[in-house]
Amino acid sequence: METQAAQDKKPPYSFRQLQEMIAAYLGPDNVPQRFKIITDTSDFFQVDYNDVVILAGVPYLMRNYTREGRFGLDDEPKYWVRKAIDLKNREAKIIKLVFHEEIEARVGELVFKCVRSPGKEAAILEMVAGHSNFMQGIAIQDTAGNIVRILDFIQGKRFDELIFKLAANHEEFFYEHLPGYLAIYAEMVKAIGFLHEQGQKHGDIRRDHIMLDRKTGTYRWIDFDYDYYHAANMFGYDLFGLGNILVFLVGGGDITVQQLQAKESSHLETLTPEDMNIIFNNRVANIQKIYPYVPDALNYILLHFSNGANLYYENTGQLLADLEEVHINA
Amino acid sequence: MSIDHTKCDITGMVERHIMIAVDSSDNARRAVLFVGDFFGCYEGFQVTLLHIILEPEATFFPNNDERQKWLTDKHTEAKKVMEEYKHILLDAGFPEDKVNVRIDTMRAPSVADCIIKEQEEMKCCTIVIGRRGISKKEEFIFGSTSNRIIHEAKKCAVLVIE
Repeated sequence: METQAAQDKKPPYSFRQLQEMIAAYLGPDNVPQRFKIITDTSDFFQVDYNDVVILAGVPYLMRNYTREGRFGLDDEPKYWVRKAIDLKNREAKIIKLVFHEEIEARVGELVFKCVRSPGKEAAILEMVAGHSNFMQGIAIQDTAGNIVRILDFIQGKRFDELIFKLAANHEEFFYEHLPGYLAIYAEMVKAIGFLHEQGQKHGDIRRDHIMLDRKTGTYRWIDFDYDYYHAANMFGYDLFGLGNILVFLVGGGDITVQQLQAKESSHLETLTPEDMNIIFNNRVANIQKIYPYVPDALNYILLHFSNGANLYYENTGQLLADLEEVHINA
Repeated sequence: MSIDHTKCDITGMVERHIMIAVDSSDNARRAVLFVGDFFGCYEGFQVTLLHIILEPEATFFPNNDERQKWLTDKHTEAKKVMEEYKHILLDAGFPEDKVNVRIDTMRAPSVADCIIKEQEEMKCCTIVIGRRGISKKEEFIFGSTSNRIIHEAKKCAVLVIE
């Protein structure tokens, strides 16, 4: 990680110089007359739109904060995660400021302590530099020693948004599109395996944490700053996340009891508690009961994430080995 | 103290070395009580009380002071319970020189891996561990130390105390 902490706290650019750089990006008519030049980002609430944050000698023009749905809450603002422009090369960036947060994560009925760790994300960014299946960026210490992450902005859609409306019905989606998406999924599982092999966990595997990078055409994992204390199995929560994504993918979206009830589906008569997701008991994991053409080899994997499972995946290698056995033939 | 699990006394009897993997939970205490009850009155047994402190990566903590405090608190807690466990074994009849106490701070994917590594190094013939009785959901997400030991430990007996 580069460090700026020891550097002179005096900003390396004058107000006038920064105005000129902003004018080059926004146009001379849109240059803000007042903005702060910030080198210590400790109080991220003080970092406003149009302010310039200087990190390792590079000035970044702050834009809006980002939003994210989490724990059932939609579009929660993330004031510490800002869109920004590198005023030297005018590239769009995401800047993650330091926010030491302790969160009581709720997964189904389970509650456990999570922390937001800038250091963990910085370590992973270094580890995955150049890896096409992870977001890219660097970590810099500001003048107060805060580990600020400067991320490449990914232009593209979320993985889960991509799989909707691909086909007129599930069967068509299953035969026409799923094989391709399963190959992408396997690639993403391998990428998580890459982290695990090096003693790191992603910590927050969700379907909206995979982005399609339009520029490169590759899928990338994003957001690695979640961490939790593990005792018996460091990778269990990551594997749970991978399982949820697979169940979602094979079902062409979540299949919930509520949806089936709304449709007065006859499947409700055949579903048992063992068929449901082990954590989210309203989601069907035994997708073969809904769509009988799901092959046994694929459904066998899904059942590892069901209430009826007696055997769980302990590492990505086991999951990948079973995925290799899956063949979808029309 | 050096440990020799196969040491023979003058009668030619092989000394059995039992490892009790503990933490500060009630189930760990039950495991210690079990070993005291079952083996305390016999000769030829050596016991190692092993407490693993699984240390998170430094990045888990906001700063080094927090990390040090976490480690100190864990060590203090471990020393306290180990003292109690040792007394349980001594009261049950184990000679003082046959009870070893070991607190290890390690970084690993799981506590079970650390316990098995220690068992292999010390060549203990038996691992005794208490079972937490966690739900299926918890085991699915966080794993189960006793289950992992049952599956992974080799060349030793495993006693899981309910």
